[in-house]
Amino acid sequence: MSAVVSPIREPLITGSKTYHQITEDIVSPTERVPNASWVAGFILSIATLSFGLFCIGYTIWVGIGTWDLNRTIGWGWDITNFVWWIGIGHAGTLISAILLLFRQKWRTGVNRAAEAMTIFAVMCAGLFPLIHMGRIWLAFFIFPYPNTRGPLWVNFNSPLLWDVFAISTYFTVSLLFWYTGLVPDFATVRDRAKGLRKNIYNFLSFGWTGKAKHWQRWESLSLILAGLATPLVLSVHTIVSFDFATSVIPGWHTTIFPPYFVAGAIFSGFAMVLTLMIITRKILKLEDYITVNHIESMNKVILLTGTIVGTAYLTELFIAWYSGYIYEQFAFYNRALGVYWWSYFGMMACNVLSPQIFWIKKYRRSIFITFFMSIFVNIGMWFERFVIIATTLARDYLPSSWSYYVPTWVEIGIYLGTFGLFMTLYLIFVRVAPVVAIAEVKSILKTSGDQYAQENARSNYDKMLNEKPHHEEHAH
Amino acid sequence: MNQFTFEGREKSVLIGGMILGLVCLVLSFFIDGSPHASEIHSRFWTNFLHNAVFFTGIAFVSLFAICAAISAYAGWYAVIKRIWEAYSLFLIVGLVMMTVIVIGVWGHFHHLYHWAGEGVTTVGSETYDAVIAGKSGFLNPTFYTVATIGFLSVFYFLFAVPIRRMSISEDKAGTADYAIHRKIKVYAAAFLPIAAFSSCALIWLWMMSIEPHWYSTMYAWYTTASWFVSALALTLLTIIYLKSRGFLVDVTDEHIHDLGKLLFAFSVFWTYLWFSQFMLIWYANVGEETTYFKTRRDEYPVLFFGNLIMNFGLPFLILMRNDTKRKFGTVGFAAALVLFGHWWDFFYMIKPGVIKELSHAEGAHGALPSVAGFDYPHLLELGIFIGFLSLFFYFVFNQLTKATLRPAGDPYYAESIHHHS
Repeated sequence: MSAVVSPIREPLITGSKTYHQITEDIVSPTERVPNASWVAGFILSIATLSFGLFCIGYTIWVGIGTWDLNRTIGWGWDITNFVWWIGIGHAGTLISAILLLFRQKWRTGVNRAAEAMTIFAVMCAGLFPLIHMGRIWLAFFIFPYPNTRGPLWVNFNSPLLWDVFAISTYFTVSLLFWYTGLVPDFATVRDRAKGLRKNIYNFLSFGWTGKAKHWQRWESLSLILAGLATPLVLSVHTIVSFDFATSVIPGWHTTIFPPYFVAGAIFSGFAMVLTLMIITRKILKLEDYITVNHIESMNKVILLTGTIVGTAYLTELFIAWYSGYIYEQFAFYNRALGVYWWSYFGMMACNVLSPQIFWIKKYRRSIFITFFMSIFVNIGMWFERFVIIATTLARDYLPSSWSYYVPTWVEIGIYLGTFGLFMTLYLIFVRVAPVVAIAEVKSILKTSGDQYAQENARSNYDKMLNEKPHHEEHAH
Repeated sequence: MNQFTFEGREKSVLIGGMILGLVCLVLSFFIDGSPHASEIHSRFWTNFLHNAVFFTGIAFVSLFAICAAISAYAGWYAVIKRIWEAYSLFLIVGLVMMTVIVIGVWGHFHHLYHWAGEGVTTVGSETYDAVIAGKSGFLNPTFYTVATIGFLSVFYFLFAVPIRRMSISEDKAGTADYAIHRKIKVYAAAFLPIAAFSSCALIWLWMMSIEPHWYSTMYAWYTTASWFVSALALTLLTIIYLKSRGFLVDVTDEHIHDLGKLLFAFSVFWTYLWFSQFMLIWYANVGEETTYFKTRRDEYPVLFFGNLIMNFGLPFLILMRNDTKRKFGTVGFAAALVLFGHWWDFFYMIKPGVIKELSHAEGAHGALPSVAGFDYPHLLELGIFIGFLSLFFYFVFNQLTKATLRPAGDPYYAESIHHHS
């Protein structure tokens, strides 16, 4: 790691931390008895989860008829929620993989929690297609195992099957990535623990001793996983977009869907990371590790991806007109001015217009505004999927089939239940694992700690400006 | 060796290349087997449009890359920023070249754009085309002119020139106070959304409208990715050449390695966009859309598969390993291949479309005629490519003489020299 850092860069760790203080600050929350707000949050999460489980049970027992789907609108909240959660599950692996490959040091403050969030979000997402099958006990049919059903195979031509492969691969690699990062940190927790707790963390850390060889292997594994995860981040939402774009439904069949879905997924994922991290850093007192500088960087990503998504919306709208194809034109007319106009309006307002306030530095650095924006963005991204799915289906080629759809209490309950599941898992996670990657934060202390950064970096920096790089002689 | 000198020998070689290109371009005016060649000289005009768009786009994405790097607080790129600055200034030549196309639209000197033909949007006319008439709010000579000249002028005069000027003034201002850098950041951030929206319109007008019935929402992003890979490849080739002359001592294997990684990553990204566009159109199998790929795959297989081999297969295999991204031989070979490959990609996007429109305008159906200079790049086309490439390098080398190659006033310069990939 290069020690030459421009004095223009802001510190990423504040409070003049030592290595020991970093360990103390990050590990100690797992060693204390949970406080009242955690317990209250946990009870609320479990209660919500239980209601969701009840609704799922009711759906399975009675059937999909408990939802308000009809012959015209065959996909409603279920697939909307599925795509929404999958989208949220993109930021974690993006932060860990792509930002690792790009050597972005600010990722170290948020990567651990973001990866955990990814895994939980993908679990929430996976629920919906399973339930939507109607006969959940036949769910194993989607796996192309050597079957006993004679010539009956899964439909390899269907993007829905590709989803199964893409998401299960993504989930596996994300889990491995998250766990790999946790290994040295579990060892740190173990070294401070006693008794059974020590044994458990020793088991979880695979007996890590911190030898040079361990670190070397750990670093190569991280890089390999990053290399594998990078195309996966793109592939998952690309294939989710194929669920729609391979069809010939006007409004769905458009070639920009793959990259536009990926950008939207990163957008919503970062928003969810912000929502969680703003609360977590406050409650666990991690303001020195997840600084305003981190929040500003994430807000810039939100602004960037929000604008990319905005470009895609306008491209779609324009090309719908340009196509000269009346059904395509009607699909977009219907989105913007049809019966579901309010969802299109919500989507545009939350996803494209509101992030533009982040052009102003003051707002990018405001915790208060960021928190509300992060929720806004996720509302907007939910609307986006609802617009694409329900609005498009509500008006098909035959006016006699035109329909309107509102969810039943069961559908709403299942959606709430996924929040319960997500929060339950997240709350358990903050209790048992270090929420910030200890080893990785330590690796950037000497370049990005506030006692080494900005004015404190200047004298070394000016000296290095005129010094030749060490590996000069190897250059051709 | 921080001050680039443009040697007489280099000038002679590049001027020689330009003369060769000019001769080939003039020859393609006369040696042309396409329909109505004696009146509209499609081989000449397609060659001109192809190269003009390709190199203008490289200048545009270079400016975009500078702005993206500055906005993202990228440190590594400071040692090569003079190269991208020089590329971005080529926008002025692009403006001149595209103005020639604009004049051709008004004067009906060429028939690159069927929508600009006489009577196409007039009800009752023999050549009336209802679909094109529906698009005439966008596809019309006035908007083409305003967008081409307007947007390119904004890119050049409001962004490329001021950013370059501020960057040079930073050389003298020293490192104590980063006021100039803060000002550059404002320009850089403002350029990104402006460029993102306006470049889409330019790509639709310049290229997608060649086949005015066909449309794809991916097209603009796909084209931009192609430009970006080309710009990266050219950057690597320029660095290798400048280092062979003893310049750019601060650019090390680490920078080459990172550029190699970007070349690899964006070649894959380009392929991703290629595949997404192709797959969705192929899968849905709607005649109005498949015509684009069906024509190219069935009747231009050399272009179709050559595109994928040069821009995906070979760079993917060559740049996969760690060491090949660091060695000048392999990374230089891959860069040259990919540069040619993306020039080929633009050929593939433009040329079959023009032949198709010309044939269909005559009422022909079925297989398209195979026309020299449209089926794959012939010697004349290669000569023209060399000519435009020489022009580009002549311009860039001339710009490089105007400022130091070691912009030490950049707040990230020391970080960049000591960069580890």
